[in-house]
Amino acid sequence: MVREPSFWIRLLLRIAALRASDAELGDVMEEYAGGTRGALWLCRQILSTLRRNPPRATVDERRPAMLSNLWSDVRYAARMFRRNPGFTVAAVAPIALGIGINTGIFSILNSLAFRRLPAPEAAELVSVHQQFRGITQRRVHGARSMFSMPEYRAYRDRSRTLAGLMAYSVPWTVTLGGDAPQEADAVFVTCNYFDVLQLRPAIGPGFTANCEDPNAAPQILLSHDLWTRAFAADRNIVGRTMTVNGHDAAVVGVAPEGFDGIDLMKAALFAPTSLIGAVRPGENYAEDPHTSWLTLVGRRKKDAGMGQVRAELAVIAGQIDQQQPGRATTVNVAPATSLSLPEARRDIFSVAAVVLGAFGLVLFIACANVANLLLARAAGRTKEIAVRLSVGASRGRLIQQLLTESALIAFAGGAAGSLFAWWSFRGLLAALLSSLPGTIPPLRVDATPNLTVLWFALGLTATTALMFGMVPALQASKHDVQTILKQQGPGAGRRTAGWLRGALVGAQVAVCMVLLISAGLLLRALYAVHTVEPGFDYRHVAVVSFDARGRGSDQRAVAFQHELLERLGALPGVEAIARAGKAPLSPGRRQTMCRLPGQQQWQEIDVNPVSPGYFSLIGIPIVRGRTFTTTELLDSPVTAIVTEATARRFWPGQEPIGRALVMAVAENKERSVEIVGVAKDAQVTGIADAESSYVYLPAGPTVEHGLQLLVQNRTDFAALAAGVRTVARELDPGVVVRVNRLEENLDFWRTVSRLIAALSGSLSLLALALASIGVYGVVSYVVSRRRREVGIRMALGASARDVQHLIIRQTLRPVAVGVLIGIAAAAAASRILQAVLFGVSPFDPVAFIGAPLFLLGIAVAATVLPTREALRVDPITTLRYE
Amino acid sequence: MAGRAHLGEFEQLVLLAVLRLGEEAYGVPIREEIEGRTGRAPTVGALYRTLDRLEAKGYVTSWFGEPTAERGGRSKRYFKVRPIGLRTLRASRDALAAMWEGLDAKVVRGS
Repeated sequence: MVREPSFWIRLLLRIAALRASDAELGDVMEEYAGGTRGALWLCRQILSTLRRNPPRATVDERRPAMLSNLWSDVRYAARMFRRNPGFTVAAVAPIALGIGINTGIFSILNSLAFRRLPAPEAAELVSVHQQFRGITQRRVHGARSMFSMPEYRAYRDRSRTLAGLMAYSVPWTVTLGGDAPQEADAVFVTCNYFDVLQLRPAIGPGFTANCEDPNAAPQILLSHDLWTRAFAADRNIVGRTMTVNGHDAAVVGVAPEGFDGIDLMKAALFAPTSLIGAVRPGENYAEDPHTSWLTLVGRRKKDAGMGQVRAELAVIAGQIDQQQPGRATTVNVAPATSLSLPEARRDIFSVAAVVLGAFGLVLFIACANVANLLLARAAGRTKEIAVRLSVGASRGRLIQQLLTESALIAFAGGAAGSLFAWWSFRGLLAALLSSLPGTIPPLRVDATPNLTVLWFALGLTATTALMFGMVPALQASKHDVQTILKQQGPGAGRRTAGWLRGALVGAQVAVCMVLLISAGLLLRALYAVHTVEPGFDYRHVAVVSFDARGRGSDQRAVAFQHELLERLGALPGVEAIARAGKAPLSPGRRQTMCRLPGQQQWQEIDVNPVSPGYFSLIGIPIVRGRTFTTTELLDSPVTAIVTEATARRFWPGQEPIGRALVMAVAENKERSVEIVGVAKDAQVTGIADAESSYVYLPAGPTVEHGLQLLVQNRTDFAALAAGVRTVARELDPGVVVRVNRLEENLDFWRTVSRLIAALSGSLSLLALALASIGVYGVVSYVVSRRRREVGIRMALGASARDVQHLIIRQTLRPVAVGVLIGIAAAAAASRILQAVLFGVSPFDPVAFIGAPLFLLGIAVAATVLPTREALRVDPITTLRYE
Repeated sequence: MAGRAHLGEFEQLVLLAVLRLGEEAYGVPIREEIEGRTGRAPTVGALYRTLDRLEAKGYVTSWFGEPTAERGGRSKRYFKVRPIGLRTLRASRDALAAMWEGLDAKVVRGS
């Protein structure tokens, strides 16, 4: 069996290739069986190939002097580190931490935005998106930059640089019928989906070439995961007929193991685009040229470069433009990744910039610590350096030696950190993904390291080495030989070094301040989310949701819904039932456009079709006018209820009751509704969001198949849920019914808030720990250098208290400056966080006063401790020692 | 001549395995042949070290076959024993046989 070797195996093979021949590696690959034992076997084989030619023992004389110097520098540095294990650990540990967390975060970004698709020869795959100007009509399912079916066909048929071009939709939840009906996320694909990816189904023939023909028998392909989970890996499944939302379809295969689509959201089911009618009945997605719903992925021909593909697709885009006057299309062609949608990439990169920035700040603090450590150490080594200079070493040579030491620290830290990251982040990510609220679909994130991550870690390590090594190296090698050699004490060059140390501490404190204040703000937001009263009653309300379209025709869906409503009302403990298109705070938004009569300006507005009892059940009072009547529950509503904020926006200072609002109901179709009531504002679209325009419409009998039922009950939730499921099963065993607490919708916001607060909290604690170590280290160093001065002062009569105050005043100066700079920087940075602050002001006084006080307290403690230590010594001893 | 051409024990095993396999003698079956018959499982590196040495001495000759997918696109290297290799092998066997003469009974009894 041909298996794609894992990253580690490929890395091992690459190392082995330094010595081993192709034939040997081929043998190894041929015999490699996989698994843990296989890996051990492989390691042994590869080690055995390395022994073949022992490296030449003598240094090649023609090798440039720098290299042989480098080798001796490395050995010298390694010897020094071995002799000072305390120093080594103190220098390596913070770097390892800093590089480790940055590499871990990057490996997640890498899996989203840079990693190639899980397919053979993935470097040839390109994703195609478009941006256009000059068109007014465009319906979107997924993203605007996606394609319509006719557009896809034009690119597919006319392209000569692509060996194949396929298209797929975003996942839709469908009901897979059978003995035990269940919901699955289906992706609608073109017949050549697997061919372009060069993947073969694990079993079954796969899609036929005419699978999208509306007259052909519909086909579906299951993911390996769904097949094993729901069908017990039954090999006879191929050829069996299942229903997809009531439409018959034959299973033509099972996707390869581990393959769940190429998008960020996992797919459990693949169906030809012709089956889209199962989820969008009555709409002709498969032919409509004005609906964006397909992502295009093509495979470049071996001899076609990216530039050629771009140029060719742009020409085709121009041809399409000509058919619609005024339209101008720009085609984006990019290497295909699991997150290739331009809109999503923009979002993820801006989030990643903030997160990597925050983690980078921690690395910066760590670097400043190590730089300070090196400065202190260099001060103690002035004699050694002076001797080296006096016997003829050039300054460049010395800098090289000192930088080698830094590089060694950085690489030790980088290696330890990367290993730690790879070991811990996969587990951490899995935990993170599983702690996401259930409303977020399962995501396909593969954070296994690959070469990109390795390069990132290496680059970061090299940057780190320069960052903390350069200044101390320049500083240390700057000495004037004669003065130092003449001097008794090891304290020359103190003035500039002292200034540098102060600046480093100040910078550390400033950076730490930014992180602390941000964490403070986020913690306040977390508290706010947990204590918020959203303005509606979420206790004792269950949300019953189902997709009745799963049974096919609209009439059946409506009948099912009505019967369910009646039977649920008879369940014990149920006090009231209401219908709503969207339960409060459920994810996603349902929006349409509206305008005032006589105006041309269209505005976005959230819409929620509800039944008359909705307001009393959920506890949102109608402050003016009335609720809907049962006679108003029409398919084409003529009445509407708006929120207070909406009324204020549309009719400021006027009576809204009786006014008209024009709503867009379909393509080029609008309808005027009369406002009959005003509902109190509530946070129904999102926590801390009660201000957006929001309109309630009466829920007609057939328009809304996917209505949710809100059930108010005074009994136990579990009993109610069981009762609902029993009733639904009796009515129609083919419909999947979900029962949740309404309170779970709040959990989504709480989880997001909790994750962000936990992340920033731990990050800033880490920063705080590193910064306090930095302050402590510098203070204790300064104090130890000034022992003689302290001794003299005390011998002349200064009290320990005076001296202590003096030292604290001097060392706290850079800390205070750092705090001030940090507060200013945090005020500038907190705006970035506004989106996740959920109702807390970005200049929240508690965070902006509390965090600096906290940091100052820690800094004072870090100063006082080493000072007291120094003052405990008898002045006479100190003087004699000097 | 027999005195100069000296074969180590493992070299003999490898030469014999190459002889046994004939047309099919490349790394993987050679290792399998040795393991199947003697129970010793030499590593890839050790095997090729020996094969290279044997080729340098002129006892075997080698050439590359077509690359195959199951080997990650890498070619097989086939080996064949050259006449001088055969002669040396025979000499080694004769030398061993001469030394063993009359000792079989003793060694097997384990005196």
